[in-house]
Amino acid sequence: MRTPLILTGVALLAALPLLVSAGLLNASIQMLIAALFACAYSLLAGRAGMLSFGHAAYFGVGAFATVHAMNALGGSGLLPTPLMPLVGAVAGLGFGLVAGWFATKRSGTVFAMITLAIAELLHALAPQLKGWFGGESGVSSMRMPAWGFDFGSTTQVYYLSLAWVLISLAALYFHSRTPLGRLTLALRENPHRLRFLGYDMHGLGVSAFALSAMFSGIAGALQVISNESANYAVFDAGVSASVVLNCFIGGVGSFLGPALGAALMTFFGYSVSDRTQVWLLYQGMLFVLVMMYMPDGLTGLVRATASMVRRHGFARVLPLALLWVAAAALVAAGVVFGVEMLQRLFSQDYRALARLTASPPPIALFGRNWATSALSTWLVPAGLLAAGGLLGWGAARRFGALSPASVTDDEKDASSRESTPVLGLSEQVRA
Amino acid sequence: MDWIAFSLLNGIIYGLLLFMVSAGLTLIFGMMGVLNFAHASFYMLGAYFAYTLQGSVGFVPAIVGATLLAGLVGAGVERWFLRRVHRYGHAHELLLTFGLSFVIAELIKLFFGNYPVDYRIPRSLDVAAFVLGQQQYPAYRLLMGAVALAMFAAIYLLLTRTRVGIVVRSAIYKPRMVEALGHNVQLVFMGVFGVGAALAGLAGAIAGAFYTTSPNMALEVGVMVFVVVVVGGLGSLGGAMLASLLIGVLTSVAVGIDRSAADVLAFVGARDWAESVGGLLTLKLSSLAATLPFALMLLILLLRPSGLMGDKD
Amino acid sequence: MKNTRLALAALPALLLLAAGAQAAPVKIGMVETLSGPQASSGQAYRAGVRYAIDKLNAAGGWNGEPVQLLEYDNQGGPSGASDKLKAAISDGVQIIVQGASSAIGGQITEDVRKYNLRNPGKEVVYINVGAEALELTGEKCNFHHFRFAGNADVRVQALVKAMKENKSLGTKVYAINQNYSWGQDMEKATVQNAAAGGYQVVEKTLHDVNKIQDFAPYVSKISASGAETVITGNWSNDLLLMMKASKAAGLKAHFATVFLDQPGNISNAGDLALGHYVAHVFSAEASGAEGDRFVADYTARIGHAPVFVEPQTVFGLEMVADALKRTKPVNGALDVNAFAKALEGTRLKTPGGEISVRAADHQALMPMVVSVVSKDARYKADGTAFGFKPVKAFTGEEASTPAQASCKMQRPD
Repeated sequence: MRTPLILTGVALLAALPLLVSAGLLNASIQMLIAALFACAYSLLAGRAGMLSFGHAAYFGVGAFATVHAMNALGGSGLLPTPLMPLVGAVAGLGFGLVAGWFATKRSGTVFAMITLAIAELLHALAPQLKGWFGGESGVSSMRMPAWGFDFGSTTQVYYLSLAWVLISLAALYFHSRTPLGRLTLALRENPHRLRFLGYDMHGLGVSAFALSAMFSGIAGALQVISNESANYAVFDAGVSASVVLNCFIGGVGSFLGPALGAALMTFFGYSVSDRTQVWLLYQGMLFVLVMMYMPDGLTGLVRATASMVRRHGFARVLPLALLWVAAAALVAAGVVFGVEMLQRLFSQDYRALARLTASPPPIALFGRNWATSALSTWLVPAGLLAAGGLLGWGAARRFGALSPASVTDDEKDASSRESTPVLGLSEQVRA
Repeated sequence: MDWIAFSLLNGIIYGLLLFMVSAGLTLIFGMMGVLNFAHASFYMLGAYFAYTLQGSVGFVPAIVGATLLAGLVGAGVERWFLRRVHRYGHAHELLLTFGLSFVIAELIKLFFGNYPVDYRIPRSLDVAAFVLGQQQYPAYRLLMGAVALAMFAAIYLLLTRTRVGIVVRSAIYKPRMVEALGHNVQLVFMGVFGVGAALAGLAGAIAGAFYTTSPNMALEVGVMVFVVVVVGGLGSLGGAMLASLLIGVLTSVAVGIDRSAADVLAFVGARDWAESVGGLLTLKLSSLAATLPFALMLLILLLRPSGLMGDKD
Repeated sequence: MKNTRLALAALPALLLLAAGAQAAPVKIGMVETLSGPQASSGQAYRAGVRYAIDKLNAAGGWNGEPVQLLEYDNQGGPSGASDKLKAAISDGVQIIVQGASSAIGGQITEDVRKYNLRNPGKEVVYINVGAEALELTGEKCNFHHFRFAGNADVRVQALVKAMKENKSLGTKVYAINQNYSWGQDMEKATVQNAAAGGYQVVEKTLHDVNKIQDFAPYVSKISASGAETVITGNWSNDLLLMMKASKAAGLKAHFATVFLDQPGNISNAGDLALGHYVAHVFSAEASGAEGDRFVADYTARIGHAPVFVEPQTVFGLEMVADALKRTKPVNGALDVNAFAKALEGTRLKTPGGEISVRAADHQALMPMVVSVVSKDARYKADGTAFGFKPVKAFTGEEASTPAQASCKMQRPD
């Protein structure tokens, strides 16, 4: 069941340049890069259980190494442009080995703080070291033609990125199947027992860290190839934070979960940021809601739905799912309307205009003018929220009637003992 | 040598300000194991609450009101958000607080705008305390330091000399046992979180008038607070005080030192070599002033990961 | 919302373009920092751009069609700007406008140059209304980049000349700046003007950008050096906190700044800003009736007076509008190279004075006014009792500095 699904996905990705516009194609490149970064991070945080807060450091190191290599080698000779990500890989691996050696000596919060400190130190030093990091305008380069392609169009860059992302994901998956990959999983599950069995914990930790850093370096290299420049803003704490969020929104319980989460969140940022000024608020709300109500991320959601379909049949689950979706859509619409109205109402310019005129002017939103003092204006978001809440309550009741509460917890306990399935569709494999 | 005296004084006061903000964070971490990324947002909320209240009730009541409001927000966050996520593990709590920091910052931008707001020290407090050399030293800074010291004393006494303090401290070490003994540990958690947030709010209300009150306040103080908490030892109040003073003095004194590693190497005759290598060796300490705390944090983490005064476990 | 409607309007336009040689409206894309920590600057640029485009469309647009404004949020960083630039180009935008950051400006100018190299015949042009790093008209100068803003050399020269004339400069000057290209440019310019200004630079300091909360140590250094004037290019918090710290310490030196008129600075600083100087592109009080008309019209449409970066944005886009008027359509569409050549030769009388473009490096010669914060100013800032009273006004030619030798512009012919 899985292989045809994967093949369809790859085929769809390969045909993407024919299906979408150039702007969306460029966004797709960013989505691919974010997906790879999230999967690389998930190797460390999801499989090995070591939460790193400074992973942007390895992404950035890979990026800068690649941009310097692009400038130095000019895309010919030993390292033509398509092979440039190897530089990012080597740089990420090297830096990851050094950083990981120190960081993995500790665990838990101290480990996280060490990784944060390394990234912040790099972020603070980078603007001072102009030779390596180019100051605030960064280091820029140009993709040189190689192997018969000129790499001038977005399509060629897309295929290059796609190829590297697929190869890296395959390598990561292969790693999860090797004994080393299994031992990495054991690091998270039962470190004491692993130590008793005689394995070198520190070495295992370093290997996981270094491999994760290597693939992060590849992702960084791909971003440089796409943007043709590297800037020290790549070491920002926001980049580290966004990869953690993408990973957990997608769900660390499956292999492709983080990739999916990263792709969705990148697309969200890309599309929503142009439409509204308060898109960061929506993003923050999304984070909070996902952490509270979907702790296993999208993977958990897919898994829960799949188990419900298996248990109760498609026909009974479909109306429930539609009810949930409708409830979510209504609540989202109400929140968006309310927030947008408030944003315009409280903006400096509106308040200045309101002071100039006798009565406050109406606000233009979604193609209509809304009077701010009219009750009907505020009834719209209230009504939407109420309707969504009602539907959600109804859906929750149906859900309760359909399955007793303990089912999902059992599913969770059972699944944690399995190997990491690819898409959340669990395999009947006992580790 | 005026500048040494000034630098030390400035550094100590700045360190005390950092302590005010990080005291709550280290308590919260020690108690609940939650590294609260939204802590600096409570700092910012305190400043904005005080700004809003200042117009109607005056400066000092506004500060008191802002503290209480920030504490209420903190308690609410714990009750309705963190408690729900607690069982999913530390990563989720952390990410939740991170998302909350975004939400709070954006809400503030929504209601108050992007530019800094006009929250200032009242005339009566805007005087000089004394004159050192050619410079005046503002009385308000001494006031900030005094409040920080009073806060430290109050929390210390509360934790060590009162019943509530005993319950809180034991809930840090053995929450289940404390629960078995009949105390409402959930309430204790909520209370500690609320008090931590209130302390940050107090710091914001006081500092926001002296520095600027803008939606980027949280970002500016946020990372430094983490450095303080880590260097001092997670969960240790004394460590937070020591670390904040150390970092405050370090950054303040470093600004006055225009020397670089190349100058030091000149003593062994290696100045030319150092200058030809360039990069890190020729960076002046004064331009690295804001980077030093991170280097200190890394050093402490590598050599003494439990922090200066944290528990070794 | 405005840009959604305009973006939706762009769709049929794109289809029409594909259909053949129909009239294609010009699309102007603003790739700005509209969210995140520096959103306040980006939104100021946006206000100016919207005002100017509305005026252009009220006067008839171009080739009988209204000009379309598409807004993109670069999410605060150069990589986001690069992405949105590619999105804008794929949406058919031919004129890119940006101003809020020199780092982003550097990224955009390089991306535009590489795109134009790879796609001859489909060029785009970058109108820079605020990124003031010198390298943009120096090493990175580019035929398809036009700067309608000042730069460090111009600003410092104006400040020094004006303050020397009214005898407030003194003989000891302290240079404190942010440690990135803009701050370093300001420091170099301060040193270069020492001979002409008759002062000695007693000390130069560079500090981290937007990381310092406590400027008291720096103020101690300034006070210890005995400087009478402090020349700084700091903006936002770095400027405000430094001024507050200097007031708290009782420092007597004057500050000669570039960004003192940023909204929020005067209301936050209050009377401690009195006596400090700023070099800005437009002062309504110095511009007579024209200036008053401009301020009144802008306030009526946008809601506040044009301050900070808004005037230079409006003037820059008025130059663009003027050049557009003189660019004939080719097959119904805009030929960007012809437009750029027209823009090079544009001379326009704006409410602030006459602006022209220097063909050698595409730096516009902008008039510069040096003002001092005073209670007697006619236009008050931020709703306080203080405003900026002009001290000396320079025309574009007077304010300009020579083109940099590092600019080797490749021209398309």
